[in-house]
Amino acid sequence: MVKKQTSFADAFQELETITAWFETAEVDLDEGLKKFERGLELAQMCKHKLAEVDNKVVDLKKKFASLEAMDVTE
Amino acid sequence: MLEIPTISVAQFLGLVNQTLRSIPSETFMIEGEVADFKISQGKWVTFDLKDESIDAKLPCFMTTYQLGLPIQSGMRVRASGYAKVFERFGKFSLNVSSVTPVGEGAFAKAYAMLKAKLTAEGLFELARKRALPRFPQTIGLITSKEAAAYGDFIRILSNRIGGITIVHANVHVQGQYAVDEICAAFTTFNQLPVNERPELIVLTRGGGSLEELHAFNDERVVRAVFGSLVPVVVGVGHERDESLCDFVSDVRASTPSNAAELIYADRRDLLRQVAYIEDRLQDRLTGRLSGYFARIERSTMLFERTFIGVGHRFQGVTTGLSHAFDRFRLSIVATREHLERREQANEQRYRLTLERLSSGLKAFERLLESVNPDTVLRRGYAIVRNARGIIRDPLRLAVGERLTLHFAEGEIDTQVIGQHKQEKLL
Repeated sequence: MVKKQTSFADAFQELETITAWFETAEVDLDEGLKKFERGLELAQMCKHKLAEVDNKVVDLKKKFASLEAMDVTE
Repeated sequence: MLEIPTISVAQFLGLVNQTLRSIPSETFMIEGEVADFKISQGKWVTFDLKDESIDAKLPCFMTTYQLGLPIQSGMRVRASGYAKVFERFGKFSLNVSSVTPVGEGAFAKAYAMLKAKLTAEGLFELARKRALPRFPQTIGLITSKEAAAYGDFIRILSNRIGGITIVHANVHVQGQYAVDEICAAFTTFNQLPVNERPELIVLTRGGGSLEELHAFNDERVVRAVFGSLVPVVVGVGHERDESLCDFVSDVRASTPSNAAELIYADRRDLLRQVAYIEDRLQDRLTGRLSGYFARIERSTMLFERTFIGVGHRFQGVTTGLSHAFDRFRLSIVATREHLERREQANEQRYRLTLERLSSGLKAFERLLESVNPDTVLRRGYAIVRNARGIIRDPLRLAVGERLTLHFAEGEIDTQVIGQHKQEKLL
């Protein structure tokens, strides 16, 4: 349940920030190249994350254990 | 005489209640019509459950907290609970654990009453609805593992996105435990530390009759949704009526699958978005770079042009210089030749002049020689002077005047003794 170091959300958000920076800022070439490289890295990261197929399902247990013990039937 | 045992009132009532508890009353519902419905101190609910056919009534007792849907006198309900004699009042009643209206009419009425009340309280205000996080990493799911909704939600979500953690709270979504379990699930999620708390919660179940959906119209569940610390998506598959949970939710989904669709965009759309951003970045950078390149090119051109200009000028100067030097050299040569020629010419001229002069001089010499008085004197002439000078007119002299005679070889002094008018000699 603990969040990963770089989630898709973080990567995507940073990517958007970089894009916005490119849209507005008077781009310094050195910084631009750095940001561009970071952008490509983030884009790769996003694609990688999107390629993940499985979702993890964990059971809510804390303080819910008593309810968990019940035989859940519909 | 046989000794009859004696017990206290409390002991006896204890026996009675023990006996009453042996009735398996929780295994069935008691149906009847509500009469004399009262709430005291905002907390204690009392009413009678009456049979229409036979004159029979069952006093009921419960708390407002247990009352999911509001009921009122005249409403047909089904109640479950256990029978008990309250020792303090010696009063028999059914200790109700749950009560639900019976029949569409009663349900609809109860539903309308609760909706009006919660609307007045502001629970359904649009202004309080929260936006869902864009890319939630952790999602809380409240539903029954046995329900089709569970499978649908997880399947559709997995079709759209991967790498998500779903924290599942397994609850009944109908029946007598549903309300308590759903409320407990919300409470548990709220109590989790922030870093473990899901970013949103999905409360979902498949469709059902109004009665089956009772938990989603229960005031306690509605308040639990309202009190959630993270946004709640409610997805109940049903067609006719909206449940009160739909109204109180931050985002309302029509089905469990739709809930998954509302939470995440399809990965293909996201991939397209990422690709678009990537392209855009590339475009922007290429744009910037070509800008720089253009500037570099311009500078290079300017430099080249300047340099070439300087080169040309330099070449011009050198050519000019060499031409000048050539000219200078030629002029020196010319001057020297000129001078030489001049010299020669001058020499010639001098010679001629000298020749001319020397021949002139000789003539002059001769002339001078010819006019030299000495030469004349040598030829026998003499010059006559007196004190005033050379005598040219002898007739102006006085007799006796003293004269000097100059000869070539000397002088003599003499005196006029007589005067004669000159006759031509030749």
